[in-house]
Amino acid sequence: MKKDDFFVRSRTYNRKKIWIMFLAIFFLAMFLIGRLVYLMVFCSVYYGQEAEDLHERERDIKAARGRIIDATGTVLATNKSVCTVSVVHSQIEDPEAVIAALTKELGMSEETVRARVEKVSSIERIKTNVDKEIGDNIRAYGLAGIKVDEDYKRYYPYDTLASKVLGFTGADNQGILGLEVVYDEYLQGTSGKILTLTDARGIEIENAGETRVEPVNGNDLYISMDINIQQYCEQAAEKAYVQKSADSVSIIVMDPRNGELMAMVNYPEFHLNEPFVLIDEMLPEPESGEEGEIAAQASALTEEERQDLLNQMWRNQCISDTYEPGSTFKIITAAAALEEDVVKLEDAFYCPGYKIVEDRKIRCAKTTGHGAETFVTGIMNSCNPVFIELGERLGTERYYHYFQQFGLMQKTAIDLPGEAATIMHKQENVGPVELATISFGQSFQITPIQLVTTVSSIINGGTRVTPHFGVEVRDADGTLVEKLSYRTTGGIVSTETSETMQYLLEKVVSEGGGKNAYIEGYSIGGKTATSQTLPRSRNRYISSFLGFAPADDPQVLVLCIINNPQGTYYGGTIAAPVVKEIMENILPYLD
Amino acid sequence: MAKSQERPKKEKSIRYFDYSMLFLIIFLLCFGLIMLYSTSSYYGSTRFGNAAYYLKRQLFATSLGVVAMIVISRIPYRFWMHLSGLAYLLALALCTAVIFVGSEHKGQSRWLEIGPLSFQPSEFAKLAVIIFLATIVYKTSRQIEEFKSLVKVILIVMPIVGVVAYNNLSTAIIILGIAICMLFVASPKYSHFVLVGAGAILVGVVFIFAMSYRAERIQIWLHPEEYDKGYQTMQGLYAIGSGGLFGRGLGESMQKLGFIPEAQNDMIFSVICEELGLFGAVSLILLYLLLIWRFMIVANNASDLYGALIVVGVMAHIAIQVILNIAVVTNSIPNTGISLPFISYGGTSILFLLSEMGLALSVSRGIRLEVV
Repeated sequence: MKKDDFFVRSRTYNRKKIWIMFLAIFFLAMFLIGRLVYLMVFCSVYYGQEAEDLHERERDIKAARGRIIDATGTVLATNKSVCTVSVVHSQIEDPEAVIAALTKELGMSEETVRARVEKVSSIERIKTNVDKEIGDNIRAYGLAGIKVDEDYKRYYPYDTLASKVLGFTGADNQGILGLEVVYDEYLQGTSGKILTLTDARGIEIENAGETRVEPVNGNDLYISMDINIQQYCEQAAEKAYVQKSADSVSIIVMDPRNGELMAMVNYPEFHLNEPFVLIDEMLPEPESGEEGEIAAQASALTEEERQDLLNQMWRNQCISDTYEPGSTFKIITAAAALEEDVVKLEDAFYCPGYKIVEDRKIRCAKTTGHGAETFVTGIMNSCNPVFIELGERLGTERYYHYFQQFGLMQKTAIDLPGEAATIMHKQENVGPVELATISFGQSFQITPIQLVTTVSSIINGGTRVTPHFGVEVRDADGTLVEKLSYRTTGGIVSTETSETMQYLLEKVVSEGGGKNAYIEGYSIGGKTATSQTLPRSRNRYISSFLGFAPADDPQVLVLCIINNPQGTYYGGTIAAPVVKEIMENILPYLD
Repeated sequence: MAKSQERPKKEKSIRYFDYSMLFLIIFLLCFGLIMLYSTSSYYGSTRFGNAAYYLKRQLFATSLGVVAMIVISRIPYRFWMHLSGLAYLLALALCTAVIFVGSEHKGQSRWLEIGPLSFQPSEFAKLAVIIFLATIVYKTSRQIEEFKSLVKVILIVMPIVGVVAYNNLSTAIIILGIAICMLFVASPKYSHFVLVGAGAILVGVVFIFAMSYRAERIQIWLHPEEYDKGYQTMQGLYAIGSGGLFGRGLGESMQKLGFIPEAQNDMIFSVICEELGLFGAVSLILLYLLLIWRFMIVANNASDLYGALIVVGVMAHIAIQVILNIAVVTNSIPNTGISLPFISYGGTSILFLLSEMGLALSVSRGIRLEVV
């Protein structure tokens, strides 16, 4: 290479152009700085917020659900602290120790625990609903990677008590059944939250500081149920259930003056703390009565069958099931007839043991006949021909008019979910035979709560009340939040009719078919009923008794329904004693 | 003063050395390593269980690079004139080889695996083009004012631009940019460059509309929030925006925690913005401007045109990458993968960048004191 003869110095224009290049770079850099100023000063709030939304994770803090408290101040539904145990894979230092500790404390199989601990995931749940005590024990190990989160779980101290009334909640603190559903908005409260920062995988960043929004606990619901009455009724129901090998026994205790329900039993009740476990009574009868057999039956069910059985188990028969009320309905027929003035107490009737309506011979319960009787003795004997006669005197139109007036055709609007409507013939389809059967309580269906409510309005002076449990809502400190009010409609029947009905029904108990409910020293009104369920050929009966006391100023009304009793099935024989027993206990208690 | 009138061969005795430039380079290197560690520690620990994984690898490449820089700065730069043709051919060969035997990464093969090390030939190509063009232009400097020879020189670099563009368009653009800058300085004319500029824009527009996925890139650029592929851009903007005036503080970036994909590569500037704020970001840009200013001083005072052209090439390289990178990160231009010199993670890149710095320092050594 000829280095020396090839030597060129930069010229002036080269330098000038280098300057131009530098200036161009300088201005581009200034433009970018301007762009940065725009982004980092003027858009800073917007982008900062967007970024924050991206980094923040919300963790809910459950609000404690409000309690359900009965008339005596006893807590029927409350919350229990439970723990959720999980492992954070990336934080585990000693997997063997973690597996050993969790296996021991949680009583789970080592395999299951190992599989979850060794799974590579950001967070793996090992077990939920762990008792707080066990959770504390696990915490005490101080092992890295184990997370014990405290949580509330709905807890029912009396487990089966009024299970179908109280209802239960789901995993997300949402009412699923009963009062828990209806009063959900009061009970639920507002959950709080913890805001934490996480990386792109959603893992919380330690020491990042967290923002807490405290939860607002739910309000307590005070109900009119009285645990003593409820417990007593449940015992009475259980006794009848066992003695009569019945399918189910329902009892309603209500204050007819204002509609406050003191007890509602649907035996068998289920376990509120384990609502998804079928009670033994729900399972089909095993071939042999051994324990293992029942368990085998339970596991043999398909998921669908199981769900059906659960739905049946949760069903509140007092509200959701309709039945033929039978003779208890004669109260309504009598009230309508008295109100319409088509019958007087001393009117004379004759019962040959049947009554012919069109071409049908409709029998009286007493096939030999009651013979000559007045209206008073007719109702005491629960004589079908007398009531058929009343129905005829009223006529379909006026009779239906009273159904409307009594509120029988509408739902009672009870504060429980799933109320069934009355199933009644269409007015235009009612011929003489239908009219006759309706007048003694057959060929149509109503719910037990409808019967209780309608009878209440007839005996309480003529005011239709709304049956209810909810009385008031208070916050956790006991400060009144809301006093619950319900609709009442006056003028259902005249005071006169109401008093006459009290007198008549008192007679039924003191001298007539309901004498098994008679209690020395108390005046009790009532009416028995025995109805055959459809299809008649299966010979299944529903025996019931409706009683109230004191007869001249009713303060408590009790309805007992025994579904499919074995052996004797007359309401006066088997249901009246149950009501009597209940009355014997609660009347002194209520005074 | 009399001594300085002597021939350049004897200048060793009164050596000039641009210490300001050296200081700026060292400062940028250290700053880069700190930011790289801050940015990459999350990925390092989640992927490799070692927060310093990326730092270690970068530190290794940087050490090699510093050694290369020192060695090259001591070699008189005119020595490279002999090797320029060879370097160009080698670069061309390597860039062609990478198309066939390169290891794939995200659908594009840009690396040659040599034992445990991987090597990105396109980084070497930048250096080779600088030396090669400087030589060509220097040797034909008297004809360069003719448009014909200008076109001829551009045609000579087109093969390597084309080969690199095959799987790394942004690097090809940088190489072309470097070439145009060097020619711009070498030529006394301006009108030619208006033509060249117009031609480049025309080619660019045709290119964008010829390939639908590039047209889509324009849409993503205009509305990054509406496209899945705008994710990286949006994450970068979140980072920049949440930095504010003074940033979250060193190491406090949230966006580097997996939100910005591969934050230690092309998007590292957004993490700098988030952690050090507008203040830190502007300081960094000014630092680059200072370095470029030193390049300009050295180029203007280089003892010959060859040295000046080499420094102009290096200056163009740094300036183009810095400007394009920041423009991409701030979504001022459509997204394309360009790393931030001295800071982004990348071994080959840092190695050859430091070699280029060595060249610039070597040129500064050749400056005769009287002209400074």
